[in-house]
Amino acid sequence: MLYRETGDFSSTYAADQQTFPIRSERYLFWTAMAFAFLVVPFLVNDYWEKSVLVPLLVWSMAALGLNILTGYCGQVSLGTGGFMAVGAYACYKLMTAFPEMNMFIVVVLSGGVTAFVGMLFGLPSLRIKGFYLAVATLAAQFFLVWIFNKVPWFYNNSASGQITAPERTIFGVAVTGASAPPWATYLFCLTLVFVFAWVARNLTRGQLGRSWMAIRDMDIAAEIIGVQPLKAKISAFAVSSFYIGVAGALYFSVWLGAAEPTEAFGIDKSFLVLFMVIIGGLGSILGSFLGAAFLTLMPVLLKNVMVGGMSWPTDLAAHIEIMLVGGLIVFFLIVEPHGLAQLWRLLKEKLRLWPFPY
Amino acid sequence: MSPDFLNFIETVLNGLMTGVMYALVALGFVLIFKASGIFNFAQGVMALFAALTLVGLQTGQMPFSHLINATFGTDIHHWGPGLPTILAILMTMAVMIVLAFTIEKVVLKHLVNQEPIILFMATIGLAYFLEGFGDLMWGADVKPLDVGLPTGGSFWLEDVTTSWATAGSEYYGMYIDTLDVSAAIIAIILVIALTIFSQYTATGRALRAVADDHQAALSVGISLRSIWVIVWSISGFVALVAGIMWGAKSGVQFSLSLIALKALPVLILGGFTSIPGAIVGGLIIGVGEKLAEAYIGPLVGGAVENWFAYMVALAFLLFRPQGLYGEKIIERI
Amino acid sequence: MNQHINPGSMRADDGIEKGGMLLHVDNISLSFGGVKAISDISFDIKKGEVRAIIGPNGAGKTSMLNVINGFYHPQEGTITFRGEKRRRMRPHRAAKQGIARTFQNIALFKGMSTLDNIMTGRMTLMHSNILAQALWVGPARNEELAHREAVERIIDFLEIEHIRKTPVGRLPYGLQKRVELGRALAADPALLLLDEPMAGMNLEEKEDMSRFVMDVNQQFGTTIALIEHDMGVVMDLSDRVVVLDYGQKIGDGTPDEVRNNQKVIDAYLGVAHD
Ligand SMILES: Nc1ncnc2c1ncn2[C@@H]1O[C@H](COP(=O)(O)OP(=O)(O)O)[C@@H](O)[C@H]1O
Ligand SMILES: [Mg+2]
Repeated sequence: MLYRETGDFSSTYAADQQTFPIRSERYLFWTAMAFAFLVVPFLVNDYWEKSVLVPLLVWSMAALGLNILTGYCGQVSLGTGGFMAVGAYACYKLMTAFPEMNMFIVVVLSGGVTAFVGMLFGLPSLRIKGFYLAVATLAAQFFLVWIFNKVPWFYNNSASGQITAPERTIFGVAVTGASAPPWATYLFCLTLVFVFAWVARNLTRGQLGRSWMAIRDMDIAAEIIGVQPLKAKISAFAVSSFYIGVAGALYFSVWLGAAEPTEAFGIDKSFLVLFMVIIGGLGSILGSFLGAAFLTLMPVLLKNVMVGGMSWPTDLAAHIEIMLVGGLIVFFLIVEPHGLAQLWRLLKEKLRLWPFPY
Repeated sequence: MSPDFLNFIETVLNGLMTGVMYALVALGFVLIFKASGIFNFAQGVMALFAALTLVGLQTGQMPFSHLINATFGTDIHHWGPGLPTILAILMTMAVMIVLAFTIEKVVLKHLVNQEPIILFMATIGLAYFLEGFGDLMWGADVKPLDVGLPTGGSFWLEDVTTSWATAGSEYYGMYIDTLDVSAAIIAIILVIALTIFSQYTATGRALRAVADDHQAALSVGISLRSIWVIVWSISGFVALVAGIMWGAKSGVQFSLSLIALKALPVLILGGFTSIPGAIVGGLIIGVGEKLAEAYIGPLVGGAVENWFAYMVALAFLLFRPQGLYGEKIIERI
Repeated sequence: MNQHINPGSMRADDGIEKGGMLLHVDNISLSFGGVKAISDISFDIKKGEVRAIIGPNGAGKTSMLNVINGFYHPQEGTITFRGEKRRRMRPHRAAKQGIARTFQNIALFKGMSTLDNIMTGRMTLMHSNILAQALWVGPARNEELAHREAVERIIDFLEIEHIRKTPVGRLPYGLQKRVELGRALAADPALLLLDEPMAGMNLEEKEDMSRFVMDVNQQFGTTIALIEHDMGVVMDLSDRVVVLDYGQKIGDGTPDEVRNNQKVIDAYLGVAHD
């Protein structure tokens, strides 16, 4: 009855469970990583850092987080902006209270604080489902932003109500503050995103990930076969919020340098990240990156073409951008609900068979 | 009566007026949801779009003038002195019908058997598209809208209420915006008209048939697609009314589309399928919000209105996950 | 054989002899609003047997299974499983105690592959913590591989190797039913509840499924409660049969006894049956 020899199991299945089972894909991945870690830091300048690379990394992190909750566990959240704010303010409080603390630790702790808040706001998901839940998460969005506006403790009583990131270093190199070199902030974000993308991959291919997907696909059956809804949903909210909190911390401390809650963490950010996840591909790690890249790079490109190339006014470009984003959401939901990640998969299959279809 | 009590009444009245506005938008949601099971997030943007179009037609604005000028280096802004209000409203209604038709053709047709949450997200995309499109067509600046409704406080009410106050107290009367009063009256008329429409006309009965049982409606020979166009046109009309009221009150601007977000908690309270629910929910949220702002606001630094409605909805859902009028969800396997 | 499918199972070892009582259903009544789905029903299931539950549509068979695994909470009566008495219980607790099941209307996880679906069946048997899973280190990784091995045996047993990586949503109906059986088997169940596993199948698929059910019972000794409309299948497979009609128990005994029971004959003649 067994079709493989017993001794061969672990090696076969371990190989089977690799992230990149195809060799050429594995090479491609590691080449890209080598390029990102070893070459890009030497090329990056201020413009690329602030307009392209750091935004890309921050939004990738946020999209990973929301994809865990929405794509893998099926719980739609419109509170992403609010949770990013939690990460940002936790980061600010930690930076100012413990100036000596390593920024890696600060950012990870900020994620931890956000995870805790996310769990609290995730509790209603045990009773509330579908878009009822989506509406309930709006409570988190608006309440959190409000509280950061109203409680002076969060912004250390600063007169403007803003939070401003002081300069903090890692191994003597500044990664926050005005004088931080572009390569350092880039590498800092890249390292975090790399590590946590790998963690996300591990979580989603294991038992926890399967319990999330089971809840997503059919929650009643999931419970009947032994998934604890409480554990699955709350862990998804916690892990997801952790990522979004880390994204918020980086967004504020590394990218913006200063932030004001209503502007920086509004509901439009919640939608933006949701769109990234939809366009990229629900339930796909790669999709989170593709979606983030698409929605970060498209405006840059549009701006360069329309404002730079055709010298249109910026507001016109902004209207067209909004239209395009909205149109694309509809397009993807209709034509390819699995997003860019699925397009990539199909392309790969074509390439693998090329030049001999069949 | 003591001034405190009169202030309380004023707050409640103002809350009711705001609530009517919320109810108006929520009504558009309910209509679409009942007939097609689609939770139309774009309802608020439809109100914005309708108001923008109305102002544009009324003032004779050139559509896409911004784009045209940028492309051809021209300097066009208007094509004429504009249309009379009534004509502009009728034309806008025509535009909303075309819009409904297009939405059905381009979007809904392709999403027929999708899960509700996918449709919901599609309407978020639609909302973005329409927002960008409206801005591109008419410009994004704040525009005043005047359709001839009276505005400003009612002096009569101020005088009357001042005389109610206990003699000698420093009370200067209630402030109620006459525009809010007309909005409330129009909303009531609208609800009655919709009820009559759905009870006594053939189309209305067909709509209800679809809402009750898609299969049955289809077998009677009602085309689901034309039903959708009709429903979206009607909610386009409701959006136009809501757009006019909000636009007249605070100018036609982007924040108009945000009332869609406020309509969500209203629907949670009222249930997605109940017209009376939408109205009661709207009133509860409107009054609750104003009372919270007046009595809790000062203690915590104000702006409680930003989140109060959502927190109420959240708390409420915990006890009744199906809403006030919604049917109990029975899960089966 | 048991050892092969169920590596290290603790569940088989509950001290109940084959033929001893595994489950008691005592005076269960269940209603929804005004509708009485089950009225005062009692029966038992012995370890190692195939216990069929039959009856016309709407008789309350599915509801009975839902009561046994804690999804419905009866207004009256108790369930005693392995000597442990209970009234209300969350379904995932029942799963943990070793009650697995399949569903009348397929309830697979549509977005997941066959393999992942069956792996979720082992939910209650896997215990590595979230940190180990996040880092994919020793215990989590080894556990994953060990359970993967067990699941591969089930895949072989059900002859579905070729669809291992296919998203189940794309599979034909008959195969979906088989994957669902696989998911239930993966839980290493002490009691397996099958709700119309052969409904809607063609003859060949039915024969395959009957064979699997029989093998599961005979080779692994798994106790099975089986809802089925096909009388031939019921007579062949089951050791004892309980008959429900309008929420009442109208017969209980060996297939032969039930077949000759006048009440049962009446109930079935009164109902047009396919
Ligand atoms: N969740 C529920 N809500 C309301 N009624 C139910 C529910 N589940 C079952 N019923 C009712 O209980 C009765 C028995 O149903 P069921 O157990 O599914 O029958 P069977 O499986 O024997 O065909 C039916 O009348 C059915 O309508
Ligand atoms: Mg049944």
